[in-house]
Amino acid sequence: MKFVNKKNIFIILMLLPSTFLLLGLTIFPFVVGLILGFTDFSLIRPQNGMRGVGFENYIEIFTTEEFWISFKTTLIFTFFAVTIQLILGTLMAVLLHHNSKTAPIMRALYLLPLAVTPVAATFSFRMMFNPSLGVFNFFLESSGFAPLAWLSKPDLALISLIIVDIWQWTPFIMLIVAGGLASLPNEPFESAKVDGAGDIQIFFHHTLPLLKPYLALAVIFRIIDAFKTFDIIYVLTGGGPGISTRTLNLMAYRYGMEYLELGYAASFAIIMLLIIILFSQIFLRKTNIYSTKVARL
Amino acid sequence: MKKKNNNKFMLPPNRQPFRKLTRRDFVQASAILAGAGVLSTFNGLPVFAKANMDELMPMFAKANIDWKQASGTEIVVGGLQHPWFEKHSPFLDSFTELTGITVKHEIQSDTEYVTEIPVKLGGGSTTPDVYMVWALGQSVAAGWLEPLDGYYNDPNLTDLSWYDLGDVFNSAKAFPVWAADNVTYGMSVTAEAETLFTNKTMFDKAGLAIPKTMNELYDAAVALNTGDQAGIVLRGKAAGDAVTWPGGGFIFSYGGAIVDANGEIAFDSQEAMEAIDMYGKICRDGGPIGIGSYHWFECLTEFMEGRSAMGLDSSNFATDFANPEKSKVADTTVYGAMPSAPGQTSAKPNMWHWMIGMNANSAQKKAAWLFMQWVTSPPTSLMTSSLGLATTRKSAWSSGDFTDAFGSQAAEASLSNLSNADGDLFKYAWFHPEAGAILDQVAIALNSSINGENVEKVVKKAADKARKAIS
Repeated sequence: MKFVNKKNIFIILMLLPSTFLLLGLTIFPFVVGLILGFTDFSLIRPQNGMRGVGFENYIEIFTTEEFWISFKTTLIFTFFAVTIQLILGTLMAVLLHHNSKTAPIMRALYLLPLAVTPVAATFSFRMMFNPSLGVFNFFLESSGFAPLAWLSKPDLALISLIIVDIWQWTPFIMLIVAGGLASLPNEPFESAKVDGAGDIQIFFHHTLPLLKPYLALAVIFRIIDAFKTFDIIYVLTGGGPGISTRTLNLMAYRYGMEYLELGYAASFAIIMLLIIILFSQIFLRKTNIYSTKVARL
Repeated sequence: MKKKNNNKFMLPPNRQPFRKLTRRDFVQASAILAGAGVLSTFNGLPVFAKANMDELMPMFAKANIDWKQASGTEIVVGGLQHPWFEKHSPFLDSFTELTGITVKHEIQSDTEYVTEIPVKLGGGSTTPDVYMVWALGQSVAAGWLEPLDGYYNDPNLTDLSWYDLGDVFNSAKAFPVWAADNVTYGMSVTAEAETLFTNKTMFDKAGLAIPKTMNELYDAAVALNTGDQAGIVLRGKAAGDAVTWPGGGFIFSYGGAIVDANGEIAFDSQEAMEAIDMYGKICRDGGPIGIGSYHWFECLTEFMEGRSAMGLDSSNFATDFANPEKSKVADTTVYGAMPSAPGQTSAKPNMWHWMIGMNANSAQKKAAWLFMQWVTSPPTSLMTSSLGLATTRKSAWSSGDFTDAFGSQAAEASLSNLSNADGDLFKYAWFHPEAGAILDQVAIALNSSINGENVEKVVKKAADKARKAIS
């Protein structure tokens, strides 16, 4: 038995804890969710058990208006939140990419939103968005503008949610891009300067192309995360006004945790998973991130 | 199809009290509580609590049961952050001294609690042994709650004459009774009703009278809605646990229902639509900008900050309004009956009793029952009510310490609204096994009405979706 040697035993022992964790916390719940999605299991009717319904849940989901409205809301939220975060995060990283004394302090300050518990931050925003007592309307009124109903007008409510997401996650993009900037080679920039290129030209023709794999990585992380945003929406609007800010994740939560229809909710979650997998695979292939080589040491 | 059981509010004959606590007991308790009132608090908990509970211990000794029969056990009581926990916690040492049972609290935020408990109980967990019940229909249908009638009727576990069910509000006794099988699945621990609160200073300044009808309420809200203050604050958030509760009171007061006695969706009736329309109009024209995102917290805060002339929400807000450390309107808040709808002599405010139930899988059922009996007993209710908790006992509501803590006028208005409320209408909707799906649609309809959408269209659509959800 060549396989059973000291080295392999050591490797297996080292891998066992993480394998068990992966199986217990990821693979097993996923398999259960997958199975549940093909049943009508409900905590309200546990005596009925898990009765198989085939693709009935999926067919029903795709034929309801609610699904398509929440899918559209999820796409709008994700697109605008991630796009603005990408622009702001990259700009912040580039602006702080120098050796001044204040840069490290500023970088630390900009990272603070990442350190705040999302729910705690969201509750603070709930107070700040308060139309009568909130600080946002206070500043608007002090500047001579009319106060806004931040969370109770359909379009504005979605914008408000995007604002909170941008505040919280722009530093994440900044962090990844800053790491990318630090690892870029100096030669292309020096030669560009020798050739007389300006800062803006260098940024668009050298910095950005070289940062592409880092940006792609940041974007893929953020899209997956923004697609399943829950806490901000649940606390601030609860999916309202009407159903205008109900995203797919919020719908899955409602069906699972409020209606206790676990089979139907699991189908919702599986659909979300498939959308994310499909999108990320297309994105990764299009951006060619697997074959890009950067920053030779 | 579920049939309405007309006898479900009746208690079995063997549960009728045959001996009440003596007058002397209550005089003794009241004297103790009066003395306690002058003592200070420490760290949010009253320092007098344990001492006075010790003095009340002889009252527990009068119960003809063995309080020590489950001595040495530990029970877990689960719930959300709520004054009920805050007010009975100071007395738990006395419970342990009396029974030898240790109580461990598991308190979570609202969201955590309502999310975790169904999963936990659905998975067959033996804890919490006792838990706060918010959706009776779901819990009963899923088999999570232990039927309690056997515990009430077991003389080894309960001294009914000492416990004095006659002292408990009828609505509180009826609340945990499940209509389909006439079985009691819980015990009510608090009482609250939809109550009108008004800022007297603002009304006096405008020369307006406190509204008695819905039309007067609308007119007053519009007249008092200036740039600096709102005419009224009401919940508007499109969530099943937000706008639906005060909105439900409107629907009931207009003669409508959310779910009828047969368990059918009824909130698209003409009466209900008129109510939903009026709710939206009052919010739109008399409420603050952005009222569509308000939950109870925003309503409480704005009224307490003196930013609104009126509010219509839970009577339990009175404890906060009356507290000058928190409230700017402690001296100027007047409580009143919920205004009546056109053609009706009085309103049917919404109401609520928080309940506790016993986990059907609990391994400590005897101890759990002793705790439930103790915490809802006359002496403990007297003590918790002296801290401002709106319990379910008449003796506690009429005690001087409670009216001092809660406000006598607020207590009077709350009781009046509670007696006008129709518990059946509430239970048909909120205790429906599919309450989550139904109330979600009611919330969307009310919120859309606030946003000025076509009421008939949104209500019909919401009702159709609710029907589909429960079919």
